[in-house]
Amino acid sequence: MAATLAQQSDQVYSFSSQPRAVQQRRKPKYRDPFDQQVDGGTQAYGNIMHDKRIVRGNTYAPTTMPAHAQPDPLEIQRQQEGKRRALARKRAKGQLRARSPEPVEGRKHVDVQTELYLEELSDRVEEADVECQTDAFLDRPPTPLFVPAKSGLDVETQIYEGELFDFDIEVKPILEVLVGKTMEQALLETLEEEELASLRQQQRAFEELRNAELVEQQRLEEQERRHREEKERRMDQQQKVVAQETETANKIAAQAFAHSYLSDLVPSVFGLLSDHGYFYDPVERDIEEGFLPWLLESVDSSMSQQHLGRLVLDGLLREVVRSREQTFEALSRQPTEVPQTIPENGPLEIPSGETNIDIDAVGEDEEEHVGEEVGGPPNDAQLGDTDAARPASADVADTVATDADGGEPS
Amino acid sequence: MAGTLISARLPPNIDVTKAPLAYGARAIPKLNEELNVTELIVVQRALRTLCDELHDPEHIAEALRNQVHISLSALLTHTDVTVRHKSTEALYILSSHCIGRDAILNADIIPGLARLLGDKEDIVRRNVHLCFEMMSEIPYGALGIVLNSLVTPLVKKLSTELDEIKLLILNSLHFAMMVDTDDALQCGAMQEFYDLLDHSDPLIRSRSARDIMDLCKPLAGKEEALDIGCVEKLSALLKDGDTEVKAKSAGAIGMIAITTDGKYRALKNNVIDLLIPLVDHENSEVRLNSIKTITCLAEAPEGRKMSLTNCLHIIQGHLEDETVAVAYAAGIAVKVITWLP
Repeated sequence: MAATLAQQSDQVYSFSSQPRAVQQRRKPKYRDPFDQQVDGGTQAYGNIMHDKRIVRGNTYAPTTMPAHAQPDPLEIQRQQEGKRRALARKRAKGQLRARSPEPVEGRKHVDVQTELYLEELSDRVEEADVECQTDAFLDRPPTPLFVPAKSGLDVETQIYEGELFDFDIEVKPILEVLVGKTMEQALLETLEEEELASLRQQQRAFEELRNAELVEQQRLEEQERRHREEKERRMDQQQKVVAQETETANKIAAQAFAHSYLSDLVPSVFGLLSDHGYFYDPVERDIEEGFLPWLLESVDSSMSQQHLGRLVLDGLLREVVRSREQTFEALSRQPTEVPQTIPENGPLEIPSGETNIDIDAVGEDEEEHVGEEVGGPPNDAQLGDTDAARPASADVADTVATDADGGEPS
Repeated sequence: MAGTLISARLPPNIDVTKAPLAYGARAIPKLNEELNVTELIVVQRALRTLCDELHDPEHIAEALRNQVHISLSALLTHTDVTVRHKSTEALYILSSHCIGRDAILNADIIPGLARLLGDKEDIVRRNVHLCFEMMSEIPYGALGIVLNSLVTPLVKKLSTELDEIKLLILNSLHFAMMVDTDDALQCGAMQEFYDLLDHSDPLIRSRSARDIMDLCKPLAGKEEALDIGCVEKLSALLKDGDTEVKAKSAGAIGMIAITTDGKYRALKNNVIDLLIPLVDHENSEVRLNSIKTITCLAEAPEGRKMSLTNCLHIIQGHLEDETVAVAYAAGIAVKVITWLP
């Protein structure tokens, strides 16, 4: 190894190897570096400025390739010479080759085969393919462990028990910390849990009381509700009973009153009805309705006829009297008059009793003469002379229209 | 190379799964910042440290001041299981303190937590339910739970969840129903509780009996309980071995027996005979609830007759009971049993 610079003390530089100058490139590149050079250390380092490996010039422009650098003129000359020499050698070789004489005129040299067996000469080159295949790539076997050659000195050391440190003493503080921290944490957590447990205990006691109170409260509420409902129901019932009783009393009173009110309703109704003639004996009724009116009417008619007759009679009488009077007067004046014979008053029963009779007067008389016989010529003096005194006689002859039918029995 | 000198200082507590705590006042704020980074490992480590720190009550107020709960609620939707697990755990620890509960209610974190009810991991769900249970124990929290319509999903989960979580749900529902029972009635909670009365775990049995008692507070609940036939099962539970179960089922029967229908159903099931031995039980709650139930049943004429003959003397023995509530209840019971119209 080439000698290095004098070793400096370790305190300044801590790199493993000392800095070394770059050695010059030597022509025989692959010499064993360990072989000692003959010329010692004169070729150890050269001037770095003249080192071909260093790029000189501006570093900010792209570096041209060292190949394009101006080579040594010596190199150029040597190259040119080499080229010339190669050319000359080639020319010489061409001239050296032996030739056969030129062909005679009119002939031509032809190549011909002179072997025993003719060969076909062709341009096609006979080819033969030969293949060769290497085996598939095997895995590269692991590189064998590089065991550098042993160098240096072997040194060994052995640490015996107790020489380095005492485990028991050293471990104590570590353990203290570990255990201490764990215990601290555990204590805190236990504290929490105990607190929780006591709180829960309190809570449990409170809840007990609370539940009891709640049940009590609800029970009382329920009781109250039930009692209230019961009371209300009873009251309702009572009220209903009372109402019913009053209603019944009212009904009874009403019934009694109605009963009494209506008790003489029936007799009074009956009385009223019988008063109004609703209850009648049919025969009696019939007699009353049918017979008696007819009877009365016929009586009436007969009476009126009688009355009429009487009126007629009265008129006649008056007429006679007047005529007699006149006669008498005439007689008195003329005493020679012949006395008129008094026409016999036949029965007054003129079939067609034509007189303007005052029906009312006749009716009144009729009533009094109800029981009289029908059609019997009444000979009584009660003829209603006063009525006859009216000027009925004057109208006797005129008025004919009287209801003769009325006189007829219906 | 370790020296051979024994140091006087403690070695540092280096747990690689936890983020190192900054010194003093910077501890919690730095953790809060770390919670909001996107790198998963940082978030996980910060969460682990936070969970441990929050156990100390002094840190809770500081954490809330630094809006740690907001960062935690943002992490609830994280894709990583550990992050969700630890953030729900941290929220649970926060909610076990009063100011924490207030902060959670004010920041409206409950809907975010509710979305995790259906999470695939049971540890996440367990923490969520723990948090809800803590929240529900104060009236505001219970109101918050009811207003966020959490009652219906909780009831639905009762049938499908693990036992441990069922316990928590029963607790949360108990407190929620103290605020408002309508939601629970509408979504068929009574049926769920009825099914759980057969469970093998006595704690679940007692809690579902207690929840039935809560649900029977309104009239509709009582009627539904009668429809489903809770009285029969509850009277069977009066013979149960566990004290709590006996106490709570006696209370539930008492609540149902307030209506006339309930009374007659209970009398049909011979409840009075079952309750008489419980009047002398050593647990005060059992005594109290049984006396109360006998009082309710004695409102009916048949019940009064039975009580008069069988248990009047027993109850009179408790007029001087050590527990004030029991003595008071015994006095009321005697009054009711000996009441004449």
